[in-house]
Amino acid sequence: MQLYSPMSTAPKRKAFRAPALASIDGLRIGILENGKLNAEEMLQEFAALFVERHGCTVHTLASKSNASAPAPANTLVKVAQEVDFLITGLGD
Amino acid sequence: MPAFAPRIHEAPDDLLAAIDWCYEQGWTDGLPVVPPAVDRVKAMLAAEGRPSETVISHHPATGLDLSLHAAAVNAVMAGCLPEYFPVVVAAFEAMDRPEFNFHGSTASTGGSAPLLVVSGLYADEIGMNADVNLFGPGNRANATIGRAVRLILRNVFQMLPGISDKSTQGNPGKYSFCIAERARGNPWPLLCEAQGYPKGASSVTAFAGGGFCNVENHGGNTPEQILGSVADAMANYGCITLGQSVVILAPEHMQIVAGAGWTREKAQAFLFTHAKRSVEGMNGVGKYRDREYDTQHGKDAHALAEQGFVHRGLSPDDILITMGGGDAGGHSCFIPSWSRGRGSIMQHAPVKPIKRS
Repeated sequence: MQLYSPMSTAPKRKAFRAPALASIDGLRIGILENGKLNAEEMLQEFAALFVERHGCTVHTLASKSNASAPAPANTLVKVAQEVDFLITGLGD
Repeated sequence: MPAFAPRIHEAPDDLLAAIDWCYEQGWTDGLPVVPPAVDRVKAMLAAEGRPSETVISHHPATGLDLSLHAAAVNAVMAGCLPEYFPVVVAAFEAMDRPEFNFHGSTASTGGSAPLLVVSGLYADEIGMNADVNLFGPGNRANATIGRAVRLILRNVFQMLPGISDKSTQGNPGKYSFCIAERARGNPWPLLCEAQGYPKGASSVTAFAGGGFCNVENHGGNTPEQILGSVADAMANYGCITLGQSVVILAPEHMQIVAGAGWTREKAQAFLFTHAKRSVEGMNGVGKYRDREYDTQHGKDAHALAEQGFVHRGLSPDDILITMGGGDAGGHSCFIPSWSRGRGSIMQHAPVKPIKRS
């Protein structure tokens, strides 16, 4: 028998990875925290390791008002202009 | 994003072998599916009328679209009859709104299931159950409409358990979570009327539900006693958040509440007022957060928000209440939101009845 596929008929979105950084020494770090309990604290601790070990500087702390929704495009555009790499992750 | 032509597979002609073949493709929720044969899918689509490539929903994280065609395929697999399809479509049109937060509510550890509440004449027309064993098995429309939602989330949007669906425990509603609002004997305006739809129209309300909490009270005889039990369930330490709530009052309980002259609005205000925990208590269980308290008690706070207490939700309007279930028994229920905050806001959409030729 002939069966239709139940999958989406939309083409898969193309995704591209950012090029790897040649070195992280002295780079500017952005932090994107999602508003969950301890998220900012955890990410600051994480960023501090880059500061200590690689001489990085923390330039931007951005927040999401909704932890489970994608970051707004304008937040990402703004942060991308200000930092060399971004640290994000869950809190809880 | 343009849609591609639907893909057709050659499966075994033997029905049981075809069911096994669907399992092998990873298309099921664990239960057998109806193989989505071409003619059945076409019959399902005929119930809609719009072009089959029409996109009715979009997943913001995966970028995947839900076309009417893909929805129809999954509705067939779930066991839906064509006349159920407009409800499935309306549910996804409601959930497509950004406020529902499609991605978060389907991917989160919180393990939510989209609860659908169908209100209005169409629920009766397609034989939905609003009565005894409301959330239980036994009614094809309730069971398969809810199941179609799950299969679409799985097959179309690829929210796969353990991969993209990270529910810590999930909840049984993730198989199917669909009810009709009980119109018979309901003393309050139906939800579809309260939502502002024209007379005779029906609606679907979609709510990212975090589970099911039975509220038993066979001894209470006043609205305060009945709704006091409900409010206590809503404010239990495990559930209390700034999220929204759904409360389905059993007919026995509704008789007591509405029989004393209480309107839906008065019941909502009572529940919001009483579904609360002290800041001290919230601190005691480690759930107190300044940010959440400030959200509830800031300059835009509802007048019923009491200083020193954390209420459930932000206002009485955050509590959907209606009636459902069998005539006998003092068993209502409270369904908490998946979201701990305002991560998902319930949405409703009109059901566009089946096209009859």
